[in-house]
Amino acid sequence: MNNHLTIKGVAICCSENDKLKDFGLNGIEVDKQLMPANLRRRASLTTKMAITVATEACKQANVNPADLPSVFASVGGEIQVTDALCLALSEHQAAISPTQFHNSVHNTTAGYWGILHQCYQPTTAIAAVDDTFAMGLLEAWMLLQQQPGDVLLVCYDELWPDYLAPPMGSYALAAALVLSNTATKNDLFTVTRPTLSKSSLSISPALIDFTQRSPAASVIPLLMAINNLSADTVIPLNVNQPQWSTQFGNTD
Amino acid sequence: MNGFKDPRLSHLKPVPVTAFTTINGCGLGNSALSQAVLNSRSGLGELTVFDIPFATPVGEIKEELPTIRPELVVYDSRNARVALAALNFAEDGLRAAVEAAKSSFGSDRIGVIIGTSTSGLSETELAYQVLLAEGHMPDDFHFLTRHAYQSTPRFLQKELQLNGPCFAVSTACSSGAKAIAAGQRLINFDVCDAVLVGGVDTLCRLTLRGFNSLELVSSDFCRPMDKNRNGINIGEGAGLLLLQKPALQYRHLPHVLSVGESSDAYHMSSPHPEGKGAVAAMNNALNLAGLKSGDVDYINLHATATPINDQVEAKAVFEVFKDSVPCSGSKGVTGHTLGAAGAIEAIVALLALQDQMIPGTCGLQEIDKDFHCHVVKDSLPNQSLQTVMSNSFGFGGNNASIIFSKDYE
Repeated sequence: MNNHLTIKGVAICCSENDKLKDFGLNGIEVDKQLMPANLRRRASLTTKMAITVATEACKQANVNPADLPSVFASVGGEIQVTDALCLALSEHQAAISPTQFHNSVHNTTAGYWGILHQCYQPTTAIAAVDDTFAMGLLEAWMLLQQQPGDVLLVCYDELWPDYLAPPMGSYALAAALVLSNTATKNDLFTVTRPTLSKSSLSISPALIDFTQRSPAASVIPLLMAINNLSADTVIPLNVNQPQWSTQFGNTD
Repeated sequence: MNGFKDPRLSHLKPVPVTAFTTINGCGLGNSALSQAVLNSRSGLGELTVFDIPFATPVGEIKEELPTIRPELVVYDSRNARVALAALNFAEDGLRAAVEAAKSSFGSDRIGVIIGTSTSGLSETELAYQVLLAEGHMPDDFHFLTRHAYQSTPRFLQKELQLNGPCFAVSTACSSGAKAIAAGQRLINFDVCDAVLVGGVDTLCRLTLRGFNSLELVSSDFCRPMDKNRNGINIGEGAGLLLLQKPALQYRHLPHVLSVGESSDAYHMSSPHPEGKGAVAAMNNALNLAGLKSGDVDYINLHATATPINDQVEAKAVFEVFKDSVPCSGSKGVTGHTLGAAGAIEAIVALLALQDQMIPGTCGLQEIDKDFHCHVVKDSLPNQSLQTVMSNSFGFGGNNASIIFSKDYE
């Protein structure tokens, strides 16, 4: 069993790309042209953000998206679509949009990703509150044990209506990682299977604030480690209640 | 394989199911479901929990549900109560089995992975009525613990005081089956010694009215695999299973051999017309279990009773198994329990092994003559079943096929 996963590609985008710079991260712009018009017209912002970062991470990793199993991890998922449907439902006779209904499922982004790239590989959509990134990384690690090669992990949450769980959802953020347990190239960073152990890494008040506004911000410490070349560090996978963590290192 | 590469190299290791239970429109516990399936007794009936502007039979739970204890009240929802009712049903011994696993392995080594598509949505809908009337959510609105997808697995984790991996799988109608897949992986790769897996979904306005807007709901009792099938009936329920690491003393128990997963890459709400994803899920399950199609003795179909779904599944099953394997659907008994269906129908497959019967297809009157797979109309007792499959196919083209064996020597 290979405990170490190599990080072959990584990308992040955020509604507050300026604020990401405080953590030394460069958020990319949402690329709405990645999908053909018939898919784009129906896709939510969250799906567009997730597909933007997933595409960029695959490009960096030089892999064909159609070959990769994937894990889509999000707390709220298609929350804007669900919100619109819940508002419509409160009128007893109101018509419910059939397209909005099937686009309200948690695996909408996963479905669009598969349709876009003709990817027949398994995909899953999970949610785990503060541990969503940690559990996504765990499921990605397990998929690679089952099927050695590469896997795509996307962690994302969009802007939420402000009456759901404020300030949660006041920032939208999506991040994607292409992970491999068969990569042979040196000079790449690695992560281990998430374990229940505390990280001694100090979390800045700015990052705590960010995470309270976007559950997907739990990816930031790992992305900062990649940028800061801080190998051999225990990285927290949950900023609010640090518990799950991963050992960050490199392939040298 | 089927035009795309399958790089999987190894087989999965079988894991024993040390306890399982269900609650659904047929009642509480395994024997209620087993009897309903054996006798094609439908649990479908009138919707009483709320009003909708059209008529359709539903698989509504009639039992009084337990209350959530005060410390966990922020997790309270119909979904959580349905899960608790199943967990506490002593006759099936699920809770006792989890407690025993906890004392053997410790709480850090026990995971909780639950599939759901609705979570606390029925309560969310009521909260939105308050929002519109009063301009704010009600005081008991707790989005992350009561309404969001992860609420039900988190509730079960807190209720059982477990501390291992915990997440919701929400891939529409394959959620419950995918949770079983994740559970098998957690044990196979030594992350956990036991995992509580399954699916929980409850009736709500959004799913009833949403499926109705897609013109997929039948106003009559659903007729899976029938030539006159015209849509689904929606149900609610929970199916919960405890998976454990293999041990000598569990060899006589049923085992999960594999879960094959795939994507259609075709459409959000229509299956691939040639059943490409369904075929891939069934073949992946066979490959991961190291089996051939001739090794499977019975298939519990997804069989939703919509014209297109059943047609595509029949074609896919025929492609993999020809007409050699008896298959049937159980949604005429429970309704389509959506996020729980993969788990509840996994339990139908386990009950087929336990009772050595091939379930019939409740609601089926005349098999569609275009179907060439071996559809079973009336249940057949006194069988000799060793290996069975359960299919689940969801929106987004998300597919999972589970293979169970009666025991594992």
